[in-house]
Amino acid sequence: MNTQAEEMGTAELSLRREGRRRVAGGTLAFLKNHAPFNKMASEPLQIFAERAQLVFHPAGSEIVGPNSGNVRFFYLIESGKVQARQAGEVTVTEYSILSLGAGESFPIGAVTAGRPSTNTYTAVDDVFCYQLPAEDFMALMTSSPEFNLFCTQYIASLLDQSRRQLQLQFAQRANEQQTLNSPLAGIGSRSPVTVAPHTPLRAALETMSAAGVGSLVIADEDRLPVGVFTRSDLLDRVVLADLPHDVPISRAMSAAPFKLEEHASAYDAMLLMATHGIRHVLVTDAEGKLTGVVSERDLFALQRVGLRQIRQSIDGAHNVETLQQSAADVRQLAFNMLAQGVGAEQLTQFISALNDALTRRVIQLNLERHNFDGIDWCWLAFGSEGRDEQTFSTDQDNGIVFGVPEGQDAALLKQRFLTFALGVNQDLDRCGFPLCKGNIMASNPQWCLTLDEWMEQFSNWIRVPQPEALLNATIFFDFRPLFGQAELAETLRRHLLAQTSSNPMFLRAMAHNALDVEPPLGKIRDFQTDLEPGQPGKIDLKKYGSRIFVDVARIYALATGVHNTNSVQRLRLASKRLSIRDDEINAVLEGLSFIQLLRLQHQYLEGEPGTQGDNLINPDTLNELDRRILKESFRQARKIQTRLKLDYQVH
Amino acid sequence: MFGLKDFLFKGGAPAHLSEELRAAVETWRKSAVPAFDEAHFHVRYVVVDIASSGLKPESDELLEIAAASVQQAGILVPDDAGYLDFSGLRGDDPALDRQLLAFLQYAAKAPLVTYHVPYVGGFLQRAYKERLGINFQPQWVDLAWLLPSMFEEKSHSLQTLDYWLDLFGLGEGAGRRDAMDNTLLLARIFQMLLVRANGKGIDTARKLIDESRASSFLRRTH
Repeated sequence: MNTQAEEMGTAELSLRREGRRRVAGGTLAFLKNHAPFNKMASEPLQIFAERAQLVFHPAGSEIVGPNSGNVRFFYLIESGKVQARQAGEVTVTEYSILSLGAGESFPIGAVTAGRPSTNTYTAVDDVFCYQLPAEDFMALMTSSPEFNLFCTQYIASLLDQSRRQLQLQFAQRANEQQTLNSPLAGIGSRSPVTVAPHTPLRAALETMSAAGVGSLVIADEDRLPVGVFTRSDLLDRVVLADLPHDVPISRAMSAAPFKLEEHASAYDAMLLMATHGIRHVLVTDAEGKLTGVVSERDLFALQRVGLRQIRQSIDGAHNVETLQQSAADVRQLAFNMLAQGVGAEQLTQFISALNDALTRRVIQLNLERHNFDGIDWCWLAFGSEGRDEQTFSTDQDNGIVFGVPEGQDAALLKQRFLTFALGVNQDLDRCGFPLCKGNIMASNPQWCLTLDEWMEQFSNWIRVPQPEALLNATIFFDFRPLFGQAELAETLRRHLLAQTSSNPMFLRAMAHNALDVEPPLGKIRDFQTDLEPGQPGKIDLKKYGSRIFVDVARIYALATGVHNTNSVQRLRLASKRLSIRDDEINAVLEGLSFIQLLRLQHQYLEGEPGTQGDNLINPDTLNELDRRILKESFRQARKIQTRLKLDYQVH
Repeated sequence: MFGLKDFLFKGGAPAHLSEELRAAVETWRKSAVPAFDEAHFHVRYVVVDIASSGLKPESDELLEIAAASVQQAGILVPDDAGYLDFSGLRGDDPALDRQLLAFLQYAAKAPLVTYHVPYVGGFLQRAYKERLGINFQPQWVDLAWLLPSMFEEKSHSLQTLDYWLDLFGLGEGAGRRDAMDNTLLLARIFQMLLVRANGKGIDTARKLIDESRASSFLRRTH
C-alpha cells in the first residue's frame, strides 16, 4: 500500500524533475552562445539554468532601479534592448546612458554587494530577461571560477571607469578654479618681456622700466631661454657688484633658469620653487622655446598660504620657535592642497620637500653649536621620510653616517655626533615631528655609525635574515641623504644593492615577510574590518593598505637595482626592468595613490591640529564610490602580492 | 449540476484502477479550486502542450505532455514545470495512470493555457476519461482565439502558431520542436499577452478565461 502511494508521489516528483530539466535545456541552449557562460563548467551552468526565471518586461517598463531596494536578482538579457541610465547628479561611469542587448547582464555590482542599483534599467523594446535570485548568484560566484572572474573583472572595469571619471571631474573643477592642477599654459604671463643675451645692461634695464615689469627673460634668437634677471638681482649683481652699464645682460643674469613645459601643472612649478627657493619658473613648449613665465605671485593667487613665504621663513629662521610656526604653515598649506584635490603622490612629495627644508634648517641651526669641519658625514632619513611618503603625522626616523679622518678617535667623534643629533632630534620634536617610539634616531648610538659600520650592519641583516633583521631592512633600506655629504649615502646604496642582488635568499625572506599581511578583502562582505584588536569596524590603511605596496616596491627595487626610495618611482622603474605592462603597473599605482589619499584625508579631516592622526578608517563611513575604489585598490594590492608570490616562490 | 456529474462519473471509474489510485483521484477531485477572481499576479497559470501520433484525439495516441507555470503575472519558474513521456509505456501499464494523475496533481486545477484547445484538450480529455474515468474540463485559456482578440492590430483572424511566433520574433528556431519547446514558446507569448490583457482591463484570471471563451465563441460563429 505504501509503495503505491510512494509511487504516486514519485510520479509527480519525476514529472517535475523532467519538466525542470527540459525548461533548463532551453535556457542552456541560450547560455551556450554567450560569454562567460560558454566557458563555464556544466554543473554550475545547469544550476543557473534550473534556477533562472524568465520574465517579460514590456517596452518602456523599468526592470530595476535605485528605488527597487536591494537588488534581489542578477539579470541576463535573453532578447530585446535594455537601457541603463545613471541615477543621481554625479556620474560615476563614462556613460550616462548605456544600451545593453541579448547576452548582457546587470546590475553586477549591486547584486554582488546586495544593495540598490545606482542605475535605472529600462526595457527599450519588449525584453525577456533571465533573472537569477541573488542567493543563487552568490552560490554561482563561489562554485564557478569563470563566472567569478567575469563578474569581478566587470566590476573592476566599472571602477576603472569611475576612477577616470572622478579624475575628470576633479580636473574640470580644477580648471574652473585654476587650482594647482591647472597646466602652466593658463597661468602667469603669456608674453614675458625678453631681451637677447648680448643686450647691454642699460638697454635691458630700460626695457624693464618701460614695460613696468620686475623681471626679464634672456632668450637667444630661437627663443630658447638662457637666463632670467630680476629686480633683486639689480641690487646684488649690478649696484653692489659695481657692474658697468654697458656690459651684456648675460653677465648679470641668473643663468640656467628653471624651466617647465606648458603641460606641467601649477603644482610642479610650486614644487620647483619650494625645492630650489626660486621665485620664477619659465614656461616652454615641447621644443624648449619660451612661451611664458610663472611667478610665485601667480601661484600665490592660487594659494591662501604662500609657498615662498613658508620657504623663506624656514630658510630665514633663527630659532626653533620660528620653525614651529613654519611647520604649522606647512601643514596648513598641505591641507589646502588636499582640499583642492591634489593627488596623493604629489602631496606627499610636497610635504616631504618642505619637511626636508625644515629638517635641514634645524640641522643648520644646531650646527652653529657644533663644528664638524673636515669630517665627512651625512644626515640620513629612513622609513616614510626616506621614501618621500610623509603624511601629516610621521614621526622621526633618522640616522647619521660619518667617516673617520685619519688620526681621529672614532669613539670620540661618535660622541660628538650623538650630542649634536640629540639636539636636532629634540628640536624636530618641537617642530611637530614626534620622537621615534622605536628610538630610530640619530641620537641613538646604534644608528649613528661610520660608513664601514653601516655597511657591516646592512651586510649582517642580508646574510642572516632573522625577523628583526627583516623588520630593520624595511626601515633602514629606504634611507635617503638629507644633509651633508650625499656621496656617503650613495656609497652605502651601491653596497646595499650589490649585497641584495647576490643574496636571493634574503629577497625571498623579505618576500615571505611582505606576504604576511594580506589586503582586508572580505569573502562575502566587501572588507574585513575585524583585523584591528579593539577597533571593530575599522581598517588600518597603513598596515593593510599602503604598507603592502611599499613592501613589494622595496623588494622589486632591491632586486632590480633601483636606487630610488620612493615607492611609486620604485614600482615604475622596477616594472620597466621586469617588463611589466604599463597599464598593469598604473592600476597598481593608482591603488596605492588612492589609499594614500584616503589616509591623508582621514588625518586631515579627523586629526585635531597638533595631534597624531591615525590610519584607522571605517569603510562604512565612506561614500559608495570611495568604497568601491578602495576595494579595487585592495585588489590591486592583492594583485602585486600574487606576482611577488609567484616571482619568489613563496607559498 | 455537480450532482449530475457525480451520478454520471462516480461509478464510471475504470475497473483497472487500484484502490490507491481511485482514492488519489478522489482526493484530487475534492481538492480546492484556486480563486480565479484574483489579479494575474496571484494566479498560477499552467501553460501546456502535447505531442501525439496524429491530429485526431479520438483515435491517435497521446505521447507527451509538457507544462510550465507562469506566476506573478509573467514569471516562468523552471522549478515549477512538468513533463510526461508515455512513449515507452504499454497501454495497460499502471504507471501511465500514475503519470496522468501526477499531471493533475501538478496542475492543481490552475487555468491551463494552450494553443488550440480542441486539439490539446481533446487528447487530454480522452486520456483522462479512459484511464482515470475523469471528465477533464479545466479552465482553458486558448491562445489561438485570444491572440487575435488581444493583438487585433496584428491579426483579426485565427492563425497558425508559426504565424504568431514570427510576428513576435520567436520563430527563429524553426524546425522540429518538441512538446516542451512549444510550451516554452507558448509561455512567452502568454507572458506578453498578460501585459496586454491587463492594459485592456482584463486583470483577473476569471476575466481572461471568459475573454478566451467569448473570443472563441464569437469568432467561430461570426
